[in-house]
Amino acid sequence: MHLENPGLLYVAATLAPLASFLLLLLAGGLRLALRKNREAGAGAALYQMLGGDRPHRAAAFIATGAIALSFVLSLVGFVYFLQDHPLPAHTETPHAAGHPEGGPAAEASSGSTADRWAGSVRWAEIGRFNSSKSTVLALGYRIDSLSTVMFLMVTFVATFIHIFSIGYMSEELAPVVEDHQVHTEEGHLHRRGRFGRFFLYLSLFCFSMLNLILADNLFQVFLSWELVGICSYLLIGFYYERRSASNAANKAFITNRVGDAGFIIGLLILWTYLGTFNFQELFHKLPQALQDGSLPKWALIVAGLGIFLGCVGKSAQFPLHVWLPDAMEGPTPVSALIHAATMVAAGVYLVGRVYPLFTEEARLAIAYTGGITLFLAATVALVMTDIKKVLAYSTVSQLGYMMLALGIGGWVAGLFHLITHAFFKALLFLGSGSVIYGCHHEQEMTRMGGLYPKMKITAITMLVGVLTIMGFPLFSGWYSKDMILAQALGYFLVHRQHFLLFALPLFTAGLTAFYMFRMWFMTFTGPPRDEHVHEHAHESPRWMTVPLIVLAVFSVCVSWGSPVWSAESSYLGGHHGLLEMSEPADELKNLKMMDEALNSAVHDSHTLAEVLAYVAGGLGVLFAALFYYWRVLNPADAKLQFAGVHRFLWHKWYFDELYSAVLVRPSLQAAHWCRNFDTYIIDGFINRAAWATTMLSRWDGIFDLAIVDGLVNLTGRIIFACGAWLRRFQTGYIRSYVLFLVLAAIGIFFALTYFLNLAAAGP
Amino acid sequence: MSEVSLDHYLVLGAVLFVCGALCMAMKRNAIGVLMGVELVLNGANINFVAFARYNPVFRLEGQVFALFVIVMAAAEAAIALAIVLNFYNNHMTVDVDTAEELKG
Repeated sequence: MHLENPGLLYVAATLAPLASFLLLLLAGGLRLALRKNREAGAGAALYQMLGGDRPHRAAAFIATGAIALSFVLSLVGFVYFLQDHPLPAHTETPHAAGHPEGGPAAEASSGSTADRWAGSVRWAEIGRFNSSKSTVLALGYRIDSLSTVMFLMVTFVATFIHIFSIGYMSEELAPVVEDHQVHTEEGHLHRRGRFGRFFLYLSLFCFSMLNLILADNLFQVFLSWELVGICSYLLIGFYYERRSASNAANKAFITNRVGDAGFIIGLLILWTYLGTFNFQELFHKLPQALQDGSLPKWALIVAGLGIFLGCVGKSAQFPLHVWLPDAMEGPTPVSALIHAATMVAAGVYLVGRVYPLFTEEARLAIAYTGGITLFLAATVALVMTDIKKVLAYSTVSQLGYMMLALGIGGWVAGLFHLITHAFFKALLFLGSGSVIYGCHHEQEMTRMGGLYPKMKITAITMLVGVLTIMGFPLFSGWYSKDMILAQALGYFLVHRQHFLLFALPLFTAGLTAFYMFRMWFMTFTGPPRDEHVHEHAHESPRWMTVPLIVLAVFSVCVSWGSPVWSAESSYLGGHHGLLEMSEPADELKNLKMMDEALNSAVHDSHTLAEVLAYVAGGLGVLFAALFYYWRVLNPADAKLQFAGVHRFLWHKWYFDELYSAVLVRPSLQAAHWCRNFDTYIIDGFINRAAWATTMLSRWDGIFDLAIVDGLVNLTGRIIFACGAWLRRFQTGYIRSYVLFLVLAAIGIFFALTYFLNLAAAGP
Repeated sequence: MSEVSLDHYLVLGAVLFVCGALCMAMKRNAIGVLMGVELVLNGANINFVAFARYNPVFRLEGQVFALFVIVMAAAEAAIALAIVLNFYNNHMTVDVDTAEELKG
């Protein structure tokens, strides 16, 4: 079957979770609206259909169906993609001359092929008055091999995590859930189960994440970037009544804002100088702009660092890594999907996507950030006892590996590790979720131990995950990690001054092996540390174990090629593999960023890196076994011996304390000042003004009462007094009236006589 | 014995007037007061008539005024008696001192 626009399959795959989200939102809204008249009538019937008082599994089936549909669509799209872009024939010749033209050439060979896999709609037009610049914001998609692989990975992992969640979140199906970690005045908190809400958020997240991968421009990426951020926030704070959860959600959100500020700066610089957000146009315009000076070098460096800062926030790199371990407050499937497999990898993905925008300096910053992160996180993971925290720090560490690889020019290596990591970290997290579920929400490894006989499937699948992450040969992590180490060694051989960029990942490879095996040994072997937990532990239901098994299988073989034992021939990330097809080699060549010496050095150092990695990993496993399996060495002794180091690591290098002292407390202090300024200065001024007004009014009142009213009252009172005096004459006795009459008559008589005499005697 | 002159009439009128006025001022009986009013009016009437007799200028006017006063006195008596009757109905007395509701 021939499709005109197979790229649209991916658009459909993106929109399926959005449809599920909207459907669930609509159902939830309806349910809420109908809740009032749940007693009788058609409304009540509809209310019952939508789940009634009891959350219903239907939400999970809708969401899971949508993401499974996305997976199927991605798979179909992948098949079409492979038809259009056949993998170049495998050659055994070492490619000392850099990347062959095979991959990119196939893509660029015909314009029509590119058109079939890309498209966009004009979304908003800005600044029409300035027609010299293209000022159209577009929403579009462009599918290359990186997108297809990411799509497959995200939809696949998400599908199985959805299925896992149906089991894991089943406690939320009850009409009333008791949260044992929230204490109110009436004991534990009781609330309605939030089963549907969980899947609603998951669907929104899947849409956002897929949209991020689909996007052909930075603007759309930024939109999705924020959307996945808000989903992460909502899901970390899923048990928002728990103070720790809501704090962690805030921490994640605020820390990401710091990164996103950089992202916005980068976006603005690119828009100002190049006038477009479209990746292809950006890469196309970049060499020209750099050459004729319309884009200054410093602006490009700042833009690159800004975008990278966004990625630092999202991918939890040093120094913004602090939010990810706290994010483990969310439900474990969320930790697996968002905070291990997909969203945190978005930063790495974006660095890969806009790779040509990073100058030499920016890339060095990326490399060192990654190097510091991977070492720092691994050391902290050594001492953590919360099983999810160990995995969280291991995630940070692995993301550091990816960033490091990208920074030192290993584009394929970094993204290859991103894909393999997604599978095995999802597996590990789901495994930990299964352990936590089986131990009745016990997360402390110090209370586990000896769980192997009780939960064999979980233990074995997690062992697979552990072997994969430490890079056991033929497990998928081996391919990608060796590639990174080889890249680092090659880089070191070419640039001797950057010794750390090789030493750190090599040493950390040993640490990784140590802390992962430590986790596995502590959880599954040895005598049980807590009889109560051990007694009640049980294997998880099939909803949860089946995804574990499937993910374990994929963790092992996702990067196999032929022959299996050669890392170079991995179909996914190897030489001439899928990912290499979308490496922006042409763009880099145009920018003269291809480092031929480095490429050959990397190719030559493969074997040496492999051997060194085996040694480091082997030592790590050996020590883990000495401490926690054979118990020849006692971890408590080591803890005492290195008390200072242990305390330093236990407090996570004091980053939280540092930020608290440097950022949180000063801002609280500043807020205090502002509040005091508000209460004392502004409010004081207003209060004084009000006081003055009232005083003035009071005086005015007194004047009014005393003078104005006084005069009026005085008049009245005088008249009243006169009346009171005069009333005495109105006695009511007719005789006195007659008397007055007579007296008055006599008086008038005499007066008249007097006046008449006067008149007569007058002139 | 000299002839009766105007002065005699005027003195008679004055005496009558004073008697009436005193009667009005002294009596507590409403009918008595009414009678005092009659005396006062008749004292004035005597003056009118006397002036009409002795002063040719007032020949007609004096008599007409006297008649006028008589008619007025009749009307006044009718109204006053009606008032007194009503007062008696309400207070079971004709004592004017009890009629003091309108005093200040």
